[in-house]
Amino acid sequence: MASEQPPEAHDEYLLELVDIEAGYGRAALVLRGLTVRVPPASVVCLVGPNGAGKSTVLKVASGMLTPRSGRILVGGKDVTRRGPQRMLDAGLSHVLQGHSVFKEMSVSENVLLGAYTIKDKAEIAERVDFVKGLFPVVADRWSSLAGALSGGQQKQVEFARSLMVSPRVVLLDEPSMGLDPKAAATVFEQVARMRDAGTAVLLVEQNARRGLETADLGCVLDLGRVHISGPAADLLADSSLGELYLGTRRPDPTAPTTTP
Amino acid sequence: MRSDSELVTGHGPRGGRTAVRAARLVGLLALIALVIAFPSMAPDSFILSVGVVIMSYAVLATSWNFVGGFTGYVSLGHASYSGLGGYATALLILRADVNPWVAMILAGLIVAAIAVPVGIASLRVRGASFVIVSIALVLILLLVFQSWGTFTGGSNGLRIPRPFSDDVLRPEQHERFFYLHAALLAVALLCWWAINRSRFGIGLKAIREDEDKAQSLGVPTFAYKLVVFVISAFFTALAGGLYALWFGFLDPIFQFSILVGAYMVLMSLLGGIRSLFGPLLGAVIVGYAMEFFKAQYGDTQAHLIAMGALLGVVVLFMPDGIIPALTNLVNRLRPQAASIRELSAAELAEQRREAEAADDTKEEVHR
Repeated sequence: MASEQPPEAHDEYLLELVDIEAGYGRAALVLRGLTVRVPPASVVCLVGPNGAGKSTVLKVASGMLTPRSGRILVGGKDVTRRGPQRMLDAGLSHVLQGHSVFKEMSVSENVLLGAYTIKDKAEIAERVDFVKGLFPVVADRWSSLAGALSGGQQKQVEFARSLMVSPRVVLLDEPSMGLDPKAAATVFEQVARMRDAGTAVLLVEQNARRGLETADLGCVLDLGRVHISGPAADLLADSSLGELYLGTRRPDPTAPTTTP
Repeated sequence: MRSDSELVTGHGPRGGRTAVRAARLVGLLALIALVIAFPSMAPDSFILSVGVVIMSYAVLATSWNFVGGFTGYVSLGHASYSGLGGYATALLILRADVNPWVAMILAGLIVAAIAVPVGIASLRVRGASFVIVSIALVLILLLVFQSWGTFTGGSNGLRIPRPFSDDVLRPEQHERFFYLHAALLAVALLCWWAINRSRFGIGLKAIREDEDKAQSLGVPTFAYKLVVFVISAFFTALAGGLYALWFGFLDPIFQFSILVGAYMVLMSLLGGIRSLFGPLLGAVIVGYAMEFFKAQYGDTQAHLIAMGALLGVVVLFMPDGIIPALTNLVNRLRPQAASIRELSAAELAEQRREAEAADDTKEEVHR
């Protein structure tokens, strides 16, 4: 299948980024007509070389960066040009690259910060129970200082924080960055559990193999466009993908892709 | 020796936590007993007056710590609010004939109201810029109160009538003011404690760590900073007012002094701005040291040099303050507690196993 998915399939998707063009300041565009769609209860993984625009996609989706053109739809509703706060309200929760826990605060305080926009105490308690069930580390280390946790554990605290607002889609920027293989494996397991618990995930991952193994759908980005997209398993089986990462050649748009 | 799994799941520390809680309660009761007993233990009236001064410092530092400790905004200009609190109390008594205690409370409210526009203007800037803006107000107020002699008494100072009748003797005065300061300190500490545990407090601490990130999570950062700034100014003004009633004389040069603000910062940093009792501990140490140096070397500037050296030592060796440094030490010496050092050792072992596991996975991939 080519890079475009059929446009009529609107309300089947939780999040749709359609023909997005975006860039920083007056510099050249980073995203050049990119289209990504996230179906419900699925993990969509964006892979691609450095500078392909993977993180920029998430910044556009979370409202941190306003696209120059294109549309952003959440559940079929147009939310283009909204700021971060309103994107959060619309159901998009962004977990930033690197470690973004508040290190000098306890795990509980970190998690409760995620619920800052919720006023209803019963709802907060319910969400706390939910994330504690999903992430055992959060329950076990509830009153520890977040900075005392390992990198992988901190990542789970960040996941828990992002799930407090009951988001429709969680945007994960390189969750395995800086983690050892075992901790990274745990993080990918948690991503799958988030999906199984009903939250869709848009995942950006430098470790393409592990990312695609976790994902249902994959998109290969290069130079601000989606070059190949399809079921993650098919992308994994595609031998040209490895070459892309070795940097030996750019993907040829006319080359045969995963599905005939 | 506890197993790694205990460390990870945290069942071990739970037993330790009850012990910590009990130790804290005992410590708190001992502190209260000490404060209550101090006036009767003090050998003479001078020592008692030193006690009042230290108590006053403790209230000032704890009040400062509402802004400094929660938001991390270092205000060097909190003398503005203590000075204004003192002058407002005095002027309400002298010019409007208000009851001294009512005047003190009214002064606190007036200063809190003044702190609103000041906060709106100054809390827009962070870091060093905020420090400089906070100093500016002290200097302005110093000039105003020195120059506007007809209203404020100017450089000649302002004498405040004592709130207790003249037949109350001097040691008795000191004792009463010691307890009044202690009561004000207790209220300030209770307020700080309550905020620390609240949702409001979580938002404030997030501002201290990363204001932009806090905002992105939906914390109304500016409103929060302003509210806690006004609370801080209110308590600082009450401390200033109470001190003025005790001391009975105000001079702009001492009321609106950068040094007073610097002392509040030094005391809080020394004790630990993240701890409830940090500023109190810092005030006891700095206050005692200052009185000691003044008594030893008279009117020289030796106490200032000593304070400078103390600040250097704190910043170099205990950047988080005495209380966190001591807590870490205790945790390190106590094997049953899950200290950071112990955890990292356990994690090291875990990581080693992970590396082995990862090697296995790699082999599988190659096969």
